[in-house]
Amino acid sequence: MANQTETQVELRPVSMEQHHKVSCFLAREYRLLDEEKFDEWLALMHEDVHYWMPGIENRRRENLLEHGFYASDHMAYFDDKLRDLQRRVARFQQPSAWAENPGTRNVHQVSNIEVYYGETDGEYLVHSVFQSVRSRGMDEEYVIYGRRTDVLVEEGGSFKLKKRLILIPNATLSCKNINTFL
Amino acid sequence: MSNIIKTVDVTDSLENLSEFCDIENGRISGKIFSDKAIYEQELEKIFARCWLFVAHESQIPKTGDYITTTMGEDEVIVVRQKDGGIKVFLNACPHRGNKVCFAESGSTRGFICNYHGWSFNTAGNLVGQHESGIYEASDFDKSKWGLKEVAQVDSWKGLVFATFDPEAPTLKEYLGPMTWYLDALFDNQEGGTEFAGGCIRSTYECNWKIAAENFVGDILHAGWTHDSAARAMLGGAVAKVSDFEESYSVNWNGHGYEFALDTVGNVAVLGESALNKYVHTIKPSVAERLGEFRSNMVASVSSCTIFPNFSFLAGQNTIRVWQPRGPNKIELFSWVLVNKSAPDDIKEKWRKGAMMTFSPTGVFEMDDGENWEYCTRTSKGKVTGAQDLYIGLGMNTLERQTDLPANVYKGQLNEANARAYYQHWYDHLNAKSWSEIPDRNVGKAEVE
Repeated sequence: MANQTETQVELRPVSMEQHHKVSCFLAREYRLLDEEKFDEWLALMHEDVHYWMPGIENRRRENLLEHGFYASDHMAYFDDKLRDLQRRVARFQQPSAWAENPGTRNVHQVSNIEVYYGETDGEYLVHSVFQSVRSRGMDEEYVIYGRRTDVLVEEGGSFKLKKRLILIPNATLSCKNINTFL
Repeated sequence: MSNIIKTVDVTDSLENLSEFCDIENGRISGKIFSDKAIYEQELEKIFARCWLFVAHESQIPKTGDYITTTMGEDEVIVVRQKDGGIKVFLNACPHRGNKVCFAESGSTRGFICNYHGWSFNTAGNLVGQHESGIYEASDFDKSKWGLKEVAQVDSWKGLVFATFDPEAPTLKEYLGPMTWYLDALFDNQEGGTEFAGGCIRSTYECNWKIAAENFVGDILHAGWTHDSAARAMLGGAVAKVSDFEESYSVNWNGHGYEFALDTVGNVAVLGESALNKYVHTIKPSVAERLGEFRSNMVASVSSCTIFPNFSFLAGQNTIRVWQPRGPNKIELFSWVLVNKSAPDDIKEKWRKGAMMTFSPTGVFEMDDGENWEYCTRTSKGKVTGAQDLYIGLGMNTLERQTDLPANVYKGQLNEANARAYYQHWYDHLNAKSWSEIPDRNVGKAEVE
């Protein structure tokens, strides 16, 4: 089946307490984006982060790609390392980012959070579902739904995001841009 | 050939068309971006008539490989034939009109309609139906009911174009001397070019001409609109185009290419020094192949639109089609182009760099979308749309003494290409057939 979650050897769910910590981390991460605290958001990224949102291709079942509806060497919305994320943030922070003034008003929401122990000690595999609502100008509204698979690394009592896979269901983006992170 | 598409009847031109377009005096009307009657005329007199980009050969290398796309608002299938040729069909079953191919790309032995099981081979022939005995009893002639094939398909240096109009001039004539300039991107190395996998499709609430015109010859906006992206990617402002000693706007039949000769100005904004280095490394071989002049254009500050809606940026290597979806809406199909012979890591950097800059998440594109949508939106106002818009920069900049092909204008900070684009647009809307379209070219038609 297309877009099935990559099968792990053995999924071991974490404790309720650990699940709570991860949920709080994800909620805080989204609040930082909503409040445009981009530098604090960047500080949550692992130095080797891979932040990936592949393009979704509408393919027949007998013609699937490497990962079903997407492939690692095909076009992507994000296929970023830390340097790339920093550059995107740098644009948001320019006074001449004309399309960001008046600003975009964001609400990011995360749910369906599943947390498992990762492949190595201190790593966690996290599945979630997100909704991003943006409004610009007087009446523009854009809603993006999707699923995510994250790898978090525990560091100094909190977490860093080491991998993020973002999958939207849409083969055609129904808006002009994604001027936020998901 | 019974399966060749029936052309649409050409209706009369709008009587008041000249009110919306006065190129000699450097003005157009905002109404052309939102008027429904004008849009209907465009579908008929431009999109059902002109050569439209449908695929890159590299997307369908093997027999049975296909992609689906649109020509105007008409859905088509582009499929590789057994003999190596390419056919383009309407993506509609000739029985009840249902779509026969729902995927955007893949490989197949044929197409089967979900409705009544009409089955077509990749050559478009009807080869069977569910309950075929019923058809035999009705003296049904299968050979007359294949997929409808577009009138002409041709390719140039890997770019596949198609037209619904059997009367259209050849692709070679259509592109004219513009091919001399296109070589700088599409034929600068042995082996030519290919697309990276995939196609990103996004939706703008804007008129298709605003985007096409931006690429036909508007570098002027870059220094202002894209200041934030340039600072993010380069740590400084966009190259100051007015400082270039030599730059050009060239056009032909509504196509336009504006360019500097700074070799790497466009690729530099991808922020990958390895790509700048690659362009410099291949430059001597490009000069040998295409001459010194065009070796300076491989990734220079530039942009191009082939009339009506195929555009690209050499250097960023983003290739795109602005698909019309009503007067106030487009779907943008975008791809990434690379030289086939380039090393894998260079191709990979281009794939990422093009998306980082020119895509729905691209730091440059974000500021374009906002502008284009609001240019369109204001034109919807009854009074606002009736106002004149200025398009007069660079009047009297035609280079009469030049060896360069096509209509050549001095300087790329110039609205000469935009004027030529809208003039050609007007000429199509004003014509009932190709023969009524005036030849306004004044430059050299020949390419050596």
